[in-house]
Amino acid sequence: MKKIAVCYKWVLSDADIRINERTRELDMEKCKPQINEYDRMGLETGVRLKEASGCELVALTCGAATEASAKDALSRGPDAVYCLDDPVMAVADATATSKVLAAMIRSISDVDVVICSEGSSDQYAQQVGPRLAALLGFTSVSYVSKAEVQGDALLLERKLEQGTECVKVIGPVVVSIVPDICEAPIPSVKQILAAKKKPSIKLGLADIGLSADSVAPLLHVAGVKAPLSERKAVRLNPDGVSISEAATALARQLAADGIL
Amino acid sequence: MADYDAIVVGAGVSGSTAALCMAKAGMSVLVVERGDRPGVKNMTGGRLYGHSLETILPGFAAQAPIERTVIREKISMLTGESCCTLDVSSARFANPASASYTVLRAEFDPWLAGKAEEAGCDVVCPASADELLYDNGKVAGVRAGEDELTADVVLLADGVNSPLGRKAGLKKELAPDMVAVGVKEVLELPGGVINDRFNLEPGEGAAHLFAGEPSQGMVGGGFVYTNKESLSVGLVMSMHTLTASRSRLPDLLQAFRDSKALKPLLSGGKLVEYSAHLVPEGGLRMLPTLAADGVLLLGDAAGFCLNLGYTVRGMDYAIASGMLAAETALEAKNKGDFSAATLAGYTTRLEQSFVLRDLHTHQRAPDFIGHTSRLYQEYPQLAEDLLTGLFTVNGPSTLFIKKALPVLSKAGLFNLLKDAFRGARSI
Repeated sequence: MKKIAVCYKWVLSDADIRINERTRELDMEKCKPQINEYDRMGLETGVRLKEASGCELVALTCGAATEASAKDALSRGPDAVYCLDDPVMAVADATATSKVLAAMIRSISDVDVVICSEGSSDQYAQQVGPRLAALLGFTSVSYVSKAEVQGDALLLERKLEQGTECVKVIGPVVVSIVPDICEAPIPSVKQILAAKKKPSIKLGLADIGLSADSVAPLLHVAGVKAPLSERKAVRLNPDGVSISEAATALARQLAADGIL
Repeated sequence: MADYDAIVVGAGVSGSTAALCMAKAGMSVLVVERGDRPGVKNMTGGRLYGHSLETILPGFAAQAPIERTVIREKISMLTGESCCTLDVSSARFANPASASYTVLRAEFDPWLAGKAEEAGCDVVCPASADELLYDNGKVAGVRAGEDELTADVVLLADGVNSPLGRKAGLKKELAPDMVAVGVKEVLELPGGVINDRFNLEPGEGAAHLFAGEPSQGMVGGGFVYTNKESLSVGLVMSMHTLTASRSRLPDLLQAFRDSKALKPLLSGGKLVEYSAHLVPEGGLRMLPTLAADGVLLLGDAAGFCLNLGYTVRGMDYAIASGMLAAETALEAKNKGDFSAATLAGYTTRLEQSFVLRDLHTHQRAPDFIGHTSRLYQEYPQLAEDLLTGLFTVNGPSTLFIKKALPVLSKAGLFNLLKDAFRGARSI
């Protein structure tokens, strides 16, 4: 292994999403940007593989206003960070994102291991890892819950529905991790301070030979609405009727609703 | 050589001010803050008196995320049936040299910490300073997790509980009659609705304090501050009477919100934030050791807070203490001596400034306010009896004094005179 590249997405924190109860539209105004939570495990996985192999580790992201993410990303262990920062990427879909990341990875020499998480907290398209592998001509290994270095090879465990699959990969690979691969530690003070001294490279689309047209999304989001749960608000024990009466009423209600 | 000239623990208003002033003077400064962002662990009822920050950052209100400029001051005595209010609104309140602003710490503190960062400080969060490091008995840095970070001087701006101040033996455990507990809800309302309900122009704010019913006879009071598009509503209750009672703070707050005086003001407000915090109210009686070898105590950690019933101050003292701590640290750096003897200049500076002078002037206030139960029960009742009597017409008129005397004697003229005298000497 020569160089590991961890891809991360700079997303809006979902903790502060507010829902307009009338229109069910999402109000993201109070949401602060952060590194996609699963990608923090990707970065930590990269750090562990770097420690085990002694290779280089870089992080990369693409999107709008991503330069602000550099310090946080660098405090999590990579030697350098590449931020493609372009407003047109605000509406990028998984196709555009993988195209841009592939071009970025090609422009960085020697990358032979790419780590992605299975999905981002905002779109969770679950496409970028496999698409990236196809574009780069790398092996794609998805649902990885454990990664170890063995000489020139990577030993990977895939968490599948009916069991665990162990694979050994030699040569260029895109690894898509599941979040339980590891915990992402909070960076220490010294890591945060050291991050300031590491290189952060800001790129535009032109720097990687792409035009705004070439990354126009194929997928158009028509709208996003919050799910609505309507409660029936039926009281089965008004005026303190006996438990058995209430239970009978409940059974009748559930039967009427077609649940029983 | 140490990693930094100074390490500041806590990015609240005192810590960030100290960091800003030291960095401006060319010192290398690290600020560690345990919250994810500055301000997330901090709380205010709602109002910053701007004068001390104005001396450091003139015209700060134009660029800082303040909510509104307070031009209207109200104090109400509440009983179950009545609300008697002193209501003063004046354009004079907007004079920048003495203006006060409603603020939300989650907005304000990151801005101030940002100013420190712009001036060249390293601000790191979340990072919790767990221990102080010592070198020959002198504080020489902090340990945060596994990291040891060294500095010539450590400024403890770690809040009312000041865990590091206690570990360093500068400060005792907080006693129940030295602290109050504040609880606050932020209720969202459109700015225009707030303007209408409080009779304000856009940008103008109101500060409304309440005595009587909200504290249910215990030592404490209620408040409402107007923000841009929300109201800060809460109570500050002295710990010693609250813990002695069976009352729960959330219940008291609920009752306060539902009181007749408040309900229409808050109607339709959507709860967006709930917070609670300790308030140091012991004044000089809880004054800690402010400076020792390699260490200074700032803001709430030092207990710089003053509640006089009509004004409640803390952040302006915290900011001033940050500035004075920075001056002292710079002096120590220039002398190359961070011993207690040099750092004692901090205490001297505080004594010469309004910070400790105010605490001296009002040194009887914590005792008067904290232990005169009549202020919370009898006097709101007296205000009600006296003032509703003034406006009641039910037939033949009598001289006001004839209405007033029985009311006053019910409260006890001797008590009234005694409390008036004690009040005059303390607040």
